[in-house]
Amino acid sequence: MPPALDTRALTKRYDDGTLALENFDLTIPEGSFFGLLGPNGAGKTTLINAVCNLIRVTAGEILIFGQPTTALDARRQVGLAEQDINLDRFLSVRETLIYHGGYFGMEKDDAEGRADEMIDAFDLRAKADVRTPKLSGGMRRRVLLARALMHRPRLVILDEPTAGVDFELRTELWRYIRQLHSEGTTILLTTHYLDEAETLCEEIALIRGGRLIARDSADGLRERFGADSLADVYVKAMATAP
Amino acid sequence: MTGFRWLARREVLRVSKLWTQTVLAPVLSSLLFILVFGLSLGDRIRDIDGFAYSEFIVPGLIAMAMVQAAYNNNASTIYQARSDRYVNDVLSAPMHPWQMNLGFIVGGFVRALMIGTALTLCAIPLTHVPLEQPLALALAVVLSLVLFSALGTVVGIFAEQWDHTAFISNVLILPLAFVGGVFYSVSLLPSPWEELSHFNPIFYLVQAMRYGFLGESDVSPVLALGVTAALAIPTYLWAQWLFSSGRKLKA
Ligand SMILES: Nc1ncnc2c1ncn2[C@@H]1O[C@H](COP(=O)(O)OP(=O)(O)OP(=O)(O)O)[C@@H](O)[C@H]1O
Ligand SMILES: [Mg+2]
Repeated sequence: MPPALDTRALTKRYDDGTLALENFDLTIPEGSFFGLLGPNGAGKTTLINAVCNLIRVTAGEILIFGQPTTALDARRQVGLAEQDINLDRFLSVRETLIYHGGYFGMEKDDAEGRADEMIDAFDLRAKADVRTPKLSGGMRRRVLLARALMHRPRLVILDEPTAGVDFELRTELWRYIRQLHSEGTTILLTTHYLDEAETLCEEIALIRGGRLIARDSADGLRERFGADSLADVYVKAMATAP
Repeated sequence: MTGFRWLARREVLRVSKLWTQTVLAPVLSSLLFILVFGLSLGDRIRDIDGFAYSEFIVPGLIAMAMVQAAYNNNASTIYQARSDRYVNDVLSAPMHPWQMNLGFIVGGFVRALMIGTALTLCAIPLTHVPLEQPLALALAVVLSLVLFSALGTVVGIFAEQWDHTAFISNVLILPLAFVGGVFYSVSLLPSPWEELSHFNPIFYLVQAMRYGFLGESDVSPVLALGVTAALAIPTYLWAQWLFSSGRKLKA
């Protein structure tokens, strides 16, 4: 069984010369709940954008369930909720979901049914016909997540999904993501909340300056760095990194 | 093909949600031109090529309204999608670059066709403009709209600020359209203005449209359609290349 995500010697240099990823190798097995941790500017979003065809990769290879990102079938397997909310300002909540489903190859009936499911799952019923610019921040975050999951992706990528989210929504989200994972969906999550990573993720990768520093389970990392908590691990890892 | 259909639908939905701006406003302003220049001043201007002035200006005015709408539509839809970054939802989707390009073009195309149809339906009873060469007209419309929708896409992709899209429209398209023989036959111009007009790309498009309506034009319809096609194809391919290479669309 090919891994959900496999990057080989992935390098991204932006046009202004910033080297955001350097020879980055990462394999995420299918079915895992994977956390990506690192300070601001570490390259987390760059990695995600490379996987989702949103940046031009400088060098290296990306395989999604064994297929290159140029294969349309590979892209259909991935659902992305970006770090910054990017909803179509002309569409209502329901339309946002249905059109996204359509872009990802769903037929009309299927997309409409699934959109209703998502609207209920994310408690958006009251706002279903409201245009997205008129939603509150938390509501937009919900729509963003619902959209990422709309086409039933096998690999779900969540870039700081809980940043700026209230306690209630965060707990709800955790529950929802866990359920998805228990159904076999592979999850790649970035977060700056170490407790979140510790609670949710089976495996964690620490990255800094576009390089992978360590990857293991939370327990494994603690042992390796001789630390009591993931926070300690994080501090030690970042301090020792070149 | 599903992704492409939904993208095209999204573009048409945007046009229809904003229909007062996207369709009604340009129709009304072109109708004003037809009424003011054609019908009220028209009596004082002598016939051109055997056509009443009000009839003569209709094809050019419709052409102008259509190509500007196609351009504006695509420049603004792409610019907005880029600046709010929801274009990422399309870029990450399982669609071929050509499907993305064509999907956006459909929006400008449909909007311009709605305007053109509405104007034609108003202009026929008002001015009795004929429809001599429907096939040539259809070809002229398709080529002109591909050209200007694709140009809108290209500018929408390159624009760093909103103003840039309007700049091209105000500084390039509008002036060239005004001196492109919409309001007069260039054969009436003194030298060198007549000759210079032949370097204006919009002149050929206006001529092609005029031939379609009136069956007459300042240059042969084959030349007019040929030049329009010679502009439309590379512009379309340019837009296509921007989607396939990711230049400017992707960091
Ligand atoms: N479009 C861009 N052009 C140039 N440099 C960029 C661009 N996007 C990101 N970078 C740079 O690439 C590096 C990695 O950025 P990235 O957004 O991947 O970090 P991140 O790990 O997601 O950080 P954060 O936790 O703040 O979201 C940074 O130095 C950033 O400034
Ligand atoms: Mg980031």
